[in-house]
Amino acid sequence: MNTLVRTTGQTRIVDLDGDVDLTSSPELRETLFEGLREAPRVALNLGTIRYIDSSGIAVLLETLREAQRLNRTFVLFGMNPSVHEVFKLTHVTRIFQIAETEEQALAIP
Amino acid sequence: MIFRATFVISSEPRLLPALRGAMEQITAVFGWNQTDCRAIALALQEALTNKIRHAYHNRPDGVITMEIQARENDMEFRLTDQGDPPDPGKICARAAGSLTPGGLGTHIIRDVMDSVFYSSSAEGNHVVLIRRFPEARI
Repeated sequence: MNTLVRTTGQTRIVDLDGDVDLTSSPELRETLFEGLREAPRVALNLGTIRYIDSSGIAVLLETLREAQRLNRTFVLFGMNPSVHEVFKLTHVTRIFQIAETEEQALAIP
Repeated sequence: MIFRATFVISSEPRLLPALRGAMEQITAVFGWNQTDCRAIALALQEALTNKIRHAYHNRPDGVITMEIQARENDMEFRLTDQGDPPDPGKICARAAGSLTPGGLGTHIIRDVMDSVFYSSSAEGNHVVLIRRFPEARI
């Protein structure tokens, strides 16, 4: 898994590439939690990840809970079909704020 | 088609992607579409991950055996470890809509597979996952 972190206005954007699994999910958790500490909004780009398992979904849930605790915003965007399938299997699709594009993610209040 | 295969792997999470790739290719031979192949491989990876985390407590020196058998109407995946036995009370899927991260893997396994059985014997701890072939599910 590779991550690229960039900032647009008040939003910390994290671009993910590769596999999010038991091996890589702790690093993703650290990146997202750091983003929440340093910016009021974090947007996670899922467009180029090839694979995510339950450990990755668990990190996203933990991040959402942390965002709520800190009164921050956490949004997802660019979800590809294989990732969407895992979200459906884990019944978490409705829990997250999910945008199709980065522009739409940035427009979410 | 008669098919049997046995994989013996160590409880090293970095090996899981290779096994997942093999599972996607094996299941494709039996007529599942790409989405189903990915889902089955994901469910198997979740079952293997559970063994690494809960039977071997993330130690990489454990051994997990996966036996695959194609039968008349379904494919059986039998995973065995020699680590700590699972606590049946803790094998549960999370509630829908919950923000609690635990139980996600169990949710995936139960949604993807048609049957799941857990047992323990002198040989170790077993989880048997069964998925019917596409035509048998209609």
